Amino acid sequence: MLSVLLQQGINGIVVGSLYVLVALGLTLIYGVLVQINFAHADIVTLGAFAAYFFTFVLGGNYLASIAVALVVGAALGWLMNALIFAPLRNRGNELLPLIATIGVSIMLQNTMLAWFGPIPFAFDTPYSNDVIRVAGMFFTIQSVLIIVVSTATIGLLYAFMKFTFLGKALRAVSQDRETAGLMGINPNQLIMLTFVIASALAGMGGAMLGPVLVLTPFAGTSVIVKAFAIVIIGGFGNVEGTIIAGLLVGLIESYTTQFLDPGLIDIVVFALLLLTLALRPTGLIAEKREENV
Amino acid sequence: MQRQTTVMRAVLNSRLFWLIVAAVAIGLMPIIFTDSYWRTNLIVCAINVMLAIGLDFILGYAGQLNLGQSAFYGIGAYVSTLLIMKLGVPFWIAFGCGVLLSGIAGMLLSLFAVRLRGHYLAIASLGFAVITYQILVNWISLTQGPLGIYAIPPPPALQLPGLPIIDFKNLANLFYLTAGFAFLAYLLLDQLVRSPIGETLTAIREDEVSAASLGINCQAWKVFAFAVGSSVAGAAGCFYASFVGTLVPDAFFITESFTILAMVIVGGMGTLIGPVWGAILLTVLPELLRGVGDLRLIIYGVAVTLVVLFMPGGMVQAARFIAAYFRSLLPGRGAGA
Amino acid sequence: MTIKPTIRHFTGAAIAAMIVAGSVNAVFAADKTIKIGALLPMSGPGSYFGAQDKQGIELALEQLNKSGVNGFKFEVQYEDSACSPLPATQAAKRLLEQYKPDVAIGEECSDATLAIMPIMEQAKVPFVNAGSSSIKITEPGNPWTFRIMPNEVMQGVDIATNAYKKLNARTAVLLYENTNAGIGNAKVFSETFTKLGGKILADIGFGRDVNDFTSIATRIAGVGKVDVIPTYTLEGQGLKITQALAQAGVTKGGGGQSIQLGTIWLPFGFEQKAGKAALGYVRIVQFDPTDKREIVRGFIQAFKAKYNQDPTHLHAHAYDQIILIADVVRRGAKDAQSIRDGLAATKGFSGVTGSVEFDKTNQNIKMDTIHYMETLPDLSWKAHGWN
Repeated sequence: MLSVLLQQGINGIVVGSLYVLVALGLTLIYGVLVQINFAHADIVTLGAFAAYFFTFVLGGNYLASIAVALVVGAALGWLMNALIFAPLRNRGNELLPLIATIGVSIMLQNTMLAWFGPIPFAFDTPYSNDVIRVAGMFFTIQSVLIIVVSTATIGLLYAFMKFTFLGKALRAVSQDRETAGLMGINPNQLIMLTFVIASALAGMGGAMLGPVLVLTPFAGTSVIVKAFAIVIIGGFGNVEGTIIAGLLVGLIESYTTQFLDPGLIDIVVFALLLLTLALRPTGLIAEKREENV
Repeated sequence: MQRQTTVMRAVLNSRLFWLIVAAVAIGLMPIIFTDSYWRTNLIVCAINVMLAIGLDFILGYAGQLNLGQSAFYGIGAYVSTLLIMKLGVPFWIAFGCGVLLSGIAGMLLSLFAVRLRGHYLAIASLGFAVITYQILVNWISLTQGPLGIYAIPPPPALQLPGLPIIDFKNLANLFYLTAGFAFLAYLLLDQLVRSPIGETLTAIREDEVSAASLGINCQAWKVFAFAVGSSVAGAAGCFYASFVGTLVPDAFFITESFTILAMVIVGGMGTLIGPVWGAILLTVLPELLRGVGDLRLIIYGVAVTLVVLFMPGGMVQAARFIAAYFRSLLPGRGAGA
Repeated sequence: MTIKPTIRHFTGAAIAAMIVAGSVNAVFAADKTIKIGALLPMSGPGSYFGAQDKQGIELALEQLNKSGVNGFKFEVQYEDSACSPLPATQAAKRLLEQYKPDVAIGEECSDATLAIMPIMEQAKVPFVNAGSSSIKITEPGNPWTFRIMPNEVMQGVDIATNAYKKLNARTAVLLYENTNAGIGNAKVFSETFTKLGGKILADIGFGRDVNDFTSIATRIAGVGKVDVIPTYTLEGQGLKITQALAQAGVTKGGGGQSIQLGTIWLPFGFEQKAGKAALGYVRIVQFDPTDKREIVRGFIQAFKAKYNQDPTHLHAHAYDQIILIADVVRRGAKDAQSIRDGLAATKGFSGVTGSVEFDKTNQNIKMDTIHYMETLPDLSWKAHGWN
């Protein structure tokens, strides 16, 4: 039984670390802009397809394809900001970008459907079916890779936010706009940077999610609802909180599957979310955005 | 000449005039659209109008970002259907229960979320919608879950004194019923919005702290707005079930909430007439686009995006712009009028 | 039924078409058209079905319209019914109002099929279904709806019985998607298997949005000795499940003992995508590409020539729907009513998926549409002649 418990713990952390990559992007954008990008899920999907085509059509290396997906994601983030969010800034209604990105999402999904078709792509990496068995447990090299790459990425992002000037500026803007202005930072450039980083994370997450989930034009949507929950549980705009909440949701998934029923995962996750909101409306971890309470 | 235009403008500005126009338009619709396909679409429009104006009352007037509309819609549909199919309760009593329970669910959500604002409320309501959907899926012994409920009867025929029997198997009659209810809901909300209650809600939306300092019980009014808006969604749910005749939880997945939100925004948030047009447009557009085949939803997505980008005030803003242009063409008015 | 006025053919385009077709007589002989409405999910995740069905239909049309049947040509109009009751209602009404088909085919998702049926009945248009398994479609039955694939009860009872008797299975874990078809099929298996004396060790339903099946496989690995794992899911999640079960060492593909049992829903080619994880998988298929019958050989050859890919069961059953209608026309049907009567009287029809003969609820009672296959180490199929 102990090995089952441990095994489910590992399963949860592997999936959870992928959720973290997706949710971090949402939380960064929210932190800086107080806005939700509904098409974030489709950037994940496009990242997954970019990695797939790079690996299987162009014959590239899977590890390199993660970098390709990162670049594709970054470019999409840049476009998303330039075409949707920037023109709608200062239009008064904070819901406009949300609705516009719903439109973008419908368009992207159906464009992908027209191009790639509805039949799931079998995205097996060279590491997908290499299984290591230790002490009654098993994991694939792919899951080791997922943990290593996402830990490294999250570590880099964290260091960037903590130690570089731009990173500090980002944190400053997400905590207090006026201070940021006093620091002499151009908010427009910072917002652009946020979109690029957030979407690069999503694209990269897609490259690693592609082999895990069912790769169709609708793949990203299965992740995004959970990412919303993670962002709240972790506290909107809070990077540390999002990381912990992401892993937590991954663990909830695997233990709910073990002890209850996989059909109940969403109920457990969102019940936790409502509980979080009831007890600590600023998120499970931190209390930064007092003005929202 | 001058007097004529003054009278004309007075008529155009009169509420009664437009209500009569709307009533006549509803009356004419099934006469213009005689085939069952378009009459079906008309009924879907009426249902969506209810959902959109219900949401707009919560969102546009009370300023509460509610993403749980799909849940209230589903609660109305399932409560009324289960009462009819399992307990044999008469339609109109089941309808009342569906509306009531949706309203109570809205109140409970609002009471729970009373401390939350902005996106926190949005996500709390989204969480509520996800949980409601999952309960509909998982509680198979009660709701049949994805196995679905079939052969739900249409509302029973009405026997009014002195009139022939009104049978709701007839789509035109069913349209009159749903559109009639949508019209009533509109009148009710319109009345509320124009009453001091509307001012109170707007005051809360604009600045909760100042409103509270004026002695307004903000929490109670927010709960009120939620109760009203969610009851209207519940009514839409009852009509959905008896019209489609088939009920599966997927019809009330959370994406439905975003579709309804899009209707409100595309139409024009904070006006009641805007969401009506938004609901009609977003219902009819995908149907009109059926002819273009595979490109259909791509065009639909692009259209929604473009509307938001170039008409941030929605169709209402565009209409005002056009109306202002035509008014300026009316004779007898100076440039400064 | 519409008889197009001959005058229409005296347009330049039509004459050019005749010359291209190379047979002026054939065109004039096939002056009349059978209009077929196809209600298929063409958008959203359900387009998985619609896109493949369409390919099968197009192939059948191409073949039939070379010479026509009894002077009739066949024409298909597609509407997106989106795998969901309300869009299916709208699509069905649009089809009936604007296209006025003589016969309709379609939907794969049972909810949508059930929503369409009363509309077709009211319009008195026969409706042929090949992909929905819910028992409610033919129980109690609708005089205008015909189903050519075995329903969930026929499939479930058969699989459970064969699992118990032929595979000597005594324990099972049910694995199914939380959909109409998934829940319905799993339930029938469970009831039959338990009645025979087998034991269900775990009953695991999951949503279509489940991403990672490692946790589910871990749980199954922990429940003890499992003989069979009946799995009710589509290709996408099915691949992930098969691979996860092998990784967890549960199934033969991963060195374990359990045998995964599969449904009609998985396409030909699934094993190649799943790799060695699929070893030992026993499943029923609606379409057997190794079938030696001439119609199957011809279908596969024509399909490969047209699309440069291997056909799946979806291609095959969509193709069968059209050629069944053509068969009814060959027997003299010419409008909605006579097509309905012709369908009901079908005897000894042999299609790509198998033969067709309807009972009084319009359910195909021929079980030869079910073939049992086992996946061998080289990922090819071994046919078990269990039916």
